[in-house]
Amino acid sequence: MAGKIVEGRNLTDEWTLMPDFCVVGSGAAGGVCALKLAEAGFDVIVLEEGPNIPKEKGPATGQERKMLNERESIMYKLLYQEGATRLTKNGGVKVLQGRCLGGGTAVNWSACLPPRLETLDEWQKRGLPFTRQNLDPYLREVVNYLPIVRNDKYNTSARRFIEGCDHLGLPHDNLPNNTHNCRECGSCGVGCPYDRKMSGFVKWLPDAVARGATVYTDTKVDKLVGSGDRIREVHAHFIDGKNRPTKGTLVVKPTKGVVIAAGAIGTPGVLLRSKLDLGKRVGRFTHMHPVTITIGKYNEKTYPAYGVPDNMWSPKFAAGPTGYLIETGSFFPVLSASATLQHGEELHRIMRDYYPSGAISYAHHTTGFDEKESYGTVKLDDNGDPELDYVIPKANIKPMQESLEVMCRIHLAAGATSVYVMRNPPLEVRAESDFAEIRKINFAESQRTSLFTVHVMGGCQMNKDEKRRCVNSDFTFGAMKNLWVVDASIFPTALGANPQVTIYALALWGAQEICRQNKATFKLNHQQGGTWPWPGY
Amino acid sequence: MAVAGILNTLSALANPKSRPEVELEGLDHLDKKTALILFAVAEAVLGENFLQKCPKFIETVDDYLNYQRPAQRQEFLIALFIAETKLFNLIVGGNPRGFSHMSLADRRKILERLRSSDQEQRRNIYAAFVNVSAATYYASDLTWPDIGYQGVSVDHPEILDRQPPIPWRPDDTRPVEP
Repeated sequence: MAGKIVEGRNLTDEWTLMPDFCVVGSGAAGGVCALKLAEAGFDVIVLEEGPNIPKEKGPATGQERKMLNERESIMYKLLYQEGATRLTKNGGVKVLQGRCLGGGTAVNWSACLPPRLETLDEWQKRGLPFTRQNLDPYLREVVNYLPIVRNDKYNTSARRFIEGCDHLGLPHDNLPNNTHNCRECGSCGVGCPYDRKMSGFVKWLPDAVARGATVYTDTKVDKLVGSGDRIREVHAHFIDGKNRPTKGTLVVKPTKGVVIAAGAIGTPGVLLRSKLDLGKRVGRFTHMHPVTITIGKYNEKTYPAYGVPDNMWSPKFAAGPTGYLIETGSFFPVLSASATLQHGEELHRIMRDYYPSGAISYAHHTTGFDEKESYGTVKLDDNGDPELDYVIPKANIKPMQESLEVMCRIHLAAGATSVYVMRNPPLEVRAESDFAEIRKINFAESQRTSLFTVHVMGGCQMNKDEKRRCVNSDFTFGAMKNLWVVDASIFPTALGANPQVTIYALALWGAQEICRQNKATFKLNHQQGGTWPWPGY
Repeated sequence: MAVAGILNTLSALANPKSRPEVELEGLDHLDKKTALILFAVAEAVLGENFLQKCPKFIETVDDYLNYQRPAQRQEFLIALFIAETKLFNLIVGGNPRGFSHMSLADRRKILERLRSSDQEQRRNIYAAFVNVSAATYYASDLTWPDIGYQGVSVDHPEILDRQPPIPWRPDDTRPVEP
């Protein structure tokens, strides 16, 4: 019997549920676990803090579309953690994370890269069981199920990037993604209104619901309550359309256990609120991929919002513990304006100059491989909300300066008349002599530049080292017998690649472990056929 | 409770300049004082008459505060009050007046001092003011023609429903998927 999606905002009573499993979070990992546990015959409840994404009437007669309307001002507040205003504790990094049905899969730019081999090697040294070989069936399942494809319709940013790389002799490659018949609206980052991105709310979650799972949206988990080595209850409350608590509460009493998949800030948050800190290990060693951004200004209109946003990259600088991936994208007025760190007429001039004829490239920087660094820590603020305390590691500062320089060179080689670097004060690079300014940027101090991240990892890591380990290699948490953590918070380092695919694959592995521990059958159903999107991997 | 106490104290001390443009109906988090200070901040960041192209500026910011973490929301309100504090402006910019009582030029001098400060807290105040103001302003449809943004495809299907050449990939003759 099919399950359903229940919007918590409409619930005002005290509810108690007794499923087999309670999954906290409906993002990449939560969606996978919901489907595979439901498929194994378990009664599954998923709790999602963010809103449902229902269909609504479109502008034309008889047309139906998702509530996703591409408008940044509305979508950011509905679909992102803290309305897309989440910051690290010192204000230095804007942390963009999904908070809606489908979580990050609803708002990512659909990039699909596998885990770096050298990252997997490093993880093996730290006692994790994953290798390229033994992950293969899980990666293959993700590739074929979504599916992951090589979409080679390139927007202006990608085309300029290709030209610049070709001039400089730098390699570039298609970046596979999980779109299907992409409409090229460019709006992946605010949720695909056409269901052409195969996100969690298009694939994993509807399939889970079809197999009996029930998803509660607008449902914020307060804490887990346990005794001995078992979690007995999950306490939650419902929130309304403006994030305010309704009078409704929910107690879930799962008979089999709890799967936490609330993301690398949310998962430690739930555990810390539950007093499950494992001797203050939970929340520590949190990593991110800090992002440096450049906007090249060209002599013609570039229509930077439209086209497939994230299907071109350069692997040239990806290797190493502080490597970086340069990718291209699309960009929109609100996010652009919020990143300028400028005021007065200069703000408007930059928007007028760079928006209509701009092309974007940005670099995700790998962090987290130095065992002597403390990296970030998730703590609870005075209201019990999680907050990430993070300072850019020293080892990343030169690579971040370098990535800006490389991206500026690519733009200039492609014909850009200037390149905007989001430094404070803003920097417009036009010639070789301007590069010296890039090399002075101090990323370690807040607001010396506009920094973002869209990938947060760790904080609840799997590790053989008892001083760091929160999650065991069978995905159980600490000494708990019925609590599993399956999301990116288990990463012991940053990944060095867009993490969506790796989270899916590890969550499949985790779901298999949970099924095994509960004597249920786990199957991978999409092992045959398909086109492998990563030649040579 | 400590933060609430700070907010109450700062609020009691603040006396922002009244502006007829600021309406207060239906706000969730801003009160008269914080709305007036926010208006003065936005005017400094965006320029005079910014409401012409972003008529719902105050309401939009207020709505966004619903989605912020409560601690961060309180920090933003405190930042507004701090900017209105005469002593703060005297120390930062040598100007012993509340921010909202300064001329536009003087407010921008304060912003410039905050931006270039060696103190992280001051740079964070600057970033909060310019991020909130700029993002809210450019969220308004009325500003989009200024920067050549054609709008969202669900409202303007003609952006995607077209025959090649496609503006963002003019040399690629493949059509946009229907």
